[in-house]
Parts: sequence; C-alpha cells; structure tokens
Amino acid sequence: MYKLTGVTKEYQKGRAVVGALQGVDLTIADGEWLAVQGRTGHGKSTLLNLLGGLDRATGGTVELDGTDLGALRETQLTRLRAQSIGFIFQTFNLIPTLSAAENVEAALIPLRVSQAGRKARTAGALESVGLADRAAHLPTELSGGQQQRVAIARALVKEPKVLLADEPTGNLDEDTRDDIIGLLEHLWRDRGLTLILVTHDTSIARRAQRTGVMTNGHLTIRQESPNL
Amino acid sequence: MFFITYLRRELRCRMRQAVFIALGLALGVGLVVTVAAASAGVNKAQSGVLSALYGVGTDITVTGNAPPPHYSSAGSTQPAKVTPPSKNGQTLQISPGGGAQICDNGHCVNAAGRTYDRLIPPYQEPISASTVAVVARLHDVAAAAGVLTLVDSAITYPANSAGSPQLATFTVDGVGTGHTPVGPLAAATISSGHFFTAADSHADVAVVDSGYAASSNLKTGSTITINQVRFTVIGIDTQPQETSPPDVYIALARAQTLATATKNLGGSVANTVNLIYVAAASAADIPVVQHEISRRLPGDIVTAAGSLASQVTGSVSTAARLTSDLGKWVSVLVLIAAFAVASLLTMAAVARRAAEFGTLKALGWPTRRIIAQVLGESLATGIAGAAAGIGLGFAGAAIIAAVAPRLSATAPSSTIGSMQQVIQAGGTALGNRTVVVPLSPSITIGVIVLAVILAMAGSLLAGALGSWRIARLRPAGALALVA
Repeated sequence: MYKLTGVTKEYQKGRAVVGALQGVDLTIADGEWLAVQGRTGHGKSTLLNLLGGLDRATGGTVELDGTDLGALRETQLTRLRAQSIGFIFQTFNLIPTLSAAENVEAALIPLRVSQAGRKARTAGALESVGLADRAAHLPTELSGGQQQRVAIARALVKEPKVLLADEPTGNLDEDTRDDIIGLLEHLWRDRGLTLILVTHDTSIARRAQRTGVMTNGHLTIRQESPNL
Repeated sequence: MFFITYLRRELRCRMRQAVFIALGLALGVGLVVTVAAASAGVNKAQSGVLSALYGVGTDITVTGNAPPPHYSSAGSTQPAKVTPPSKNGQTLQISPGGGAQICDNGHCVNAAGRTYDRLIPPYQEPISASTVAVVARLHDVAAAAGVLTLVDSAITYPANSAGSPQLATFTVDGVGTGHTPVGPLAAATISSGHFFTAADSHADVAVVDSGYAASSNLKTGSTITINQVRFTVIGIDTQPQETSPPDVYIALARAQTLATATKNLGGSVANTVNLIYVAAASAADIPVVQHEISRRLPGDIVTAAGSLASQVTGSVSTAARLTSDLGKWVSVLVLIAAFAVASLLTMAAVARRAAEFGTLKALGWPTRRIIAQVLGESLATGIAGAAAGIGLGFAGAAIIAAVAPRLSATAPSSTIGSMQQVIQAGGTALGNRTVVVPLSPSITIGVIVLAVILAMAGSLLAGALGSWRIARLRPAGALALVA
C-alpha cells in the first residue's frame, strides 16, 4: 500500500525553483488501479517517479508498505525497484541491441535468478503477452504494439507488486491501444497488481478504479469507478 | 551468459565507433611498440658495438699504456728498460743503389720478386702474462683471459721495377688454447674443423675467422703464412654478426715466440700479452673490479664497458638519442591523443545511451553492474586495440628493419689501444675505431605485455570516465531525457 503525505517536489531551473508537486496526499491500496490524468508539465510523471523510487521527494513522505522511500539508501531503492516495482514507458525503452527475450531477461539480472530460471520465466512472460514466437526478434523488428508487449513482459517477469505505467499507449494507434489496455487490465486482475497508470486518454482512465487529475502539482481524485 | 551477450551485441551494434576507438588505441600502442622495438634494436646495436670493441661477455679490458721513447720490457708492467732489438728475423733496408733489399741475419738480397713479412705487435707497453692470473684471482672476477694482438704485414715487391710493392695485412690474435668464458673466441662457434687443444700450444696451427677465410679462400687444411712461417688452418670460426673479430687466431705461446723473433720490433714480447679481457662476477661488481685492477696495475689502461659506451659516437648514438628522445615523446603524445579520443567517444556514447542506462536503473540494475558492463565493453575494445597495436608494432619494426641503414659507431681506440683497431679503422682514423652494425628492431615479450597494459589502461580510462557519468546519472533524469 502506498501512502503519500504532503509530498512536494521542487526542481531548480536556472535561478528559479519550480514546484512540480505541491503537497500531494494520497493512499493507494494494494491491488488498486489508479489512473492519473493531467496536462503536460503538471506533475504526472514526477508523481510516478516518486512512487517508483526513481526520484526523491523534496518534502513529505512516500511510503510503500510502511517503508519511507525517502529514507532508503540508493542501493536499497535499487533493490526495491528490482524486486517490487515494474515500469512501462511511453517510448517502450527496450534496449535496441537485445532481442525481445533478452530485454525481458534483463529484468531478472539484478534478482540473481539462475540462467535456466531466467530462460523459463522469460519464455513464460513472453507467452503471457502473446509474443512467444517473437522472442528472438530485435525491437526494430517488432511493431510498436509488440514492443510495448515486450516492455510489459519485462515489467511483469519479476512478478512485482506494483506496476507503474507512464502513458503506455501514447505512441500506439487506437486498435493497438485497446489491445494493450485490455492486456494490462487482464494482467492486473489476474495477478492482483497495484497498477498506477498515467494517461491523457479519458477512455482509458475511466477503466481504472480511481482517477486522479494533476493540476499545477496538486492531485485531485475525481472519479471512483465501480471497479473499486 | 548475459554479460557477454549484452557486451557482444553492443559492440556489434556500435561497431564503427568500437573500431574507431580500437584503431586509435592501436595507433598509439603500435607506435610505442615500434619505438620500443627500434630502441631495443639500437640497444642491441650498441651492445654489439661494445662486444665488437670488447668481446662478448667482457666487462673490463686492460691494455698497456703508450710506451716511453725507448720501448721495451721483458714481460713486465714495471717501468720499461731499454733492451737491444732482436737479432732474429728479417729487416727491410735501402740498398746503396736506392732499391729495397731484405736482410736476414746480415745477409741482404734484392727485394724484387720477394715478400717482406713481419708480425707487428701494438705500439704499447706489454703486460706480463702472469698478470692475467693475478687479475683472474681477484675477488669478484669471474674470468680473465690474456691475448697478444698482432698484425701481420707483408710487402710483396714486383719482380721488375715497373710495378709498385703490394701491402697485405691481416690481424692475428694469440690466444690461450683452453676454453675461457671471455676473450676473442668466447662467443665464437666453430663452423669447420676444431678449436685449439692443449697440444697446440707451440704448434703452427691457426683458427681462421669465417669472413677472412671466405675472402682469402681458406678452408680447414689450408696453409697461411704468418711472419714467414706456414700455419695449417685447423678450424674456421664464426663470430656474432655485430662483432669485428681478428682474422686469424694462433696459440698465445706461438704468437709470443713469433713476435719476439721479429727484428726491429723495439723490444721483446716474450711471456707478455697486450690485452686482458675480464668478466666480473656480476654487473654490480664491475666498478669495484675496475678500481681494484687500476690499483694493482697503475701503469695500464683499465676500461669498463660503461665508460666506453659513453665515448661511442656515430649514427648508433644518434639513433639511440632519436629513439630515447623524439620517439619516446612522439609515442607519449600519440598515446595521450588516443586515450583522449577513446575517452571522449566513450563519454559521448554514454551520453547517447543515457535512456538505456536510466531504464536499466529503473529495472533495478545496480550502478556497479551497469558500470561493469560499460567497462567490459571498453576492455574488449582495448583488447582489440592491443592486438591491432601489436600487429602495427610488428609491421613498424619490420619496416624499420627493411629501410633502416646500418649504424656505425666510433670509439676512441685509446680505450683499448691495440694496433689491430688502427688497422681495422682502415688507417683513416688513427686513434679511432669504427664498427658498423645492423639495426635489428626486436619486440620482446615485455614490450608486448607493455602494449597490452597500455591499451587496457587507455580503454579502462575511457570506461572509467564513462562510468563516472553513469554513476552520476539519476534514473528519473535519464528517463526524462528520453521523454
């Protein structure tokens, strides 16, 4: 469970200080799907970075299962990301020189899983996103939707508690978008993940249990769907 | 193994950059290897020069000083005392009619159609043969050998007065008949026949240097005339390439007898030598041994290889300065340039891969694991650079060996002072001796190891700078760059 209390995040931009988050209070239950909307530059990705331990808050606390992420050392945060948090990015962020399977396998490297274990889990993850037959393909040999499926497999292969998705359909066409969101929803239900998804797309946001809107660094919960 | 797979894929994908970095390192390393090879070649040439002047394995030489006006001394290094010239042997005189005549024990004949042959010892004080044993017994002396260096000079007069006399000279070393680790025959190998045996001490037998044998059409069993005495060639020896050995060797005792028999010599050389080769027990002992010999033999010239090396001039010295000064600094500059290029390109590559490293950090890869990956890629590039550099170094050394002129070295003969050197100098530079040696660059295992270390150091430096950037990379910042 996430618990954010008075979270602020400020960036130094030249001589000016920009407040990306300004006192965000939020609780996200285990297994919840929260969609975060908002205009560009209003703090959505900053919020996601703090939830994923990719950045540290300037003020307030971000707790995951009672652990204050701001109090953890960098190595502890790294271990937390390796074990408990999966990321999906708008630009897929696959390593271009590695095949689909190797990209997925990369997520298991910090967990010190044996080579045989990595191979088996990678194959299972690719199977679960419907890309078992594309395992040896390089990212450039895959469509955008397929690349995002590989990225999802990479995020889920380590069986995380939390899945953070930053506009995962932002670079996809409408049909592919529906496929990817359908897949994410299926995996969310199937695996009991906590899913926090940043999106501009209201139709996607409506499928989440709750929708929050970021406006000038402030978060407002607008909708609570029947899924909650 | 994932590390290797990732490394291989990255290098293959960024092949052009990897090749560029590797070639840069290879150029620097290749130059270092070439300069080191050339330097080793020059050192070898210098060593050859010293060997030529000294004899292989010799650390110190002892020679007699220049004689006083009335030259003599019967086997002593003590101040000379005047003795009458030998009554034995031939003399060359001018007849009352103005022509040359050869006189033997007061009986003179016209020189026309005859050969006046004599054996000339060096114009210096002889050293008692017993001194060799004294030197050999000194503390820290491994071995000592005494030699009587002589020059056989034969003037052949034409039968008719129309022609001019022909002068033929060759050098003769009187050596001990037993094997010693120092001396003119220490590094020689016998290519035909055999060396002297103890039974040859007073025999008219000679060992001939292969070069002189070839030019004079001599072989085992041939005869050679020394001071009017016919010697049988019992062996043909071959000396190391860079040395300039005497033409003929005869037994020391026989050489002493023959030289003593030469009339108008100015003194006796019976039981004397004029050059002592000394090998110290170790290189560190050379100064002590030199000092001790100088103390015991105050009237003689004691020269160590080090002091001789400093007096050597000529193209070998120029080449030594060139490789040690210009070559070294050019290599250092090229290496610095190669390291800088490799570092800049690696830093640029890390900057371009910021999103990749940010993603890996988001996936939970520890920074040290990412750094290990980048260092691995740099090391692999360094290995390729080292291999290519060694190849370039061998090519450079081969080119130098092919195009480099033979090096000459000139040393003042006063350091050794034998007549042999004067003759070998061709009479053009009396007092100096010039030795010509080939420049043969050589690449040792040490140089190859140095090349690998340099390439590794360059690649590790580049990788370390790249790693420094990675360590400073905040994952959120890196991912924001992609966005």
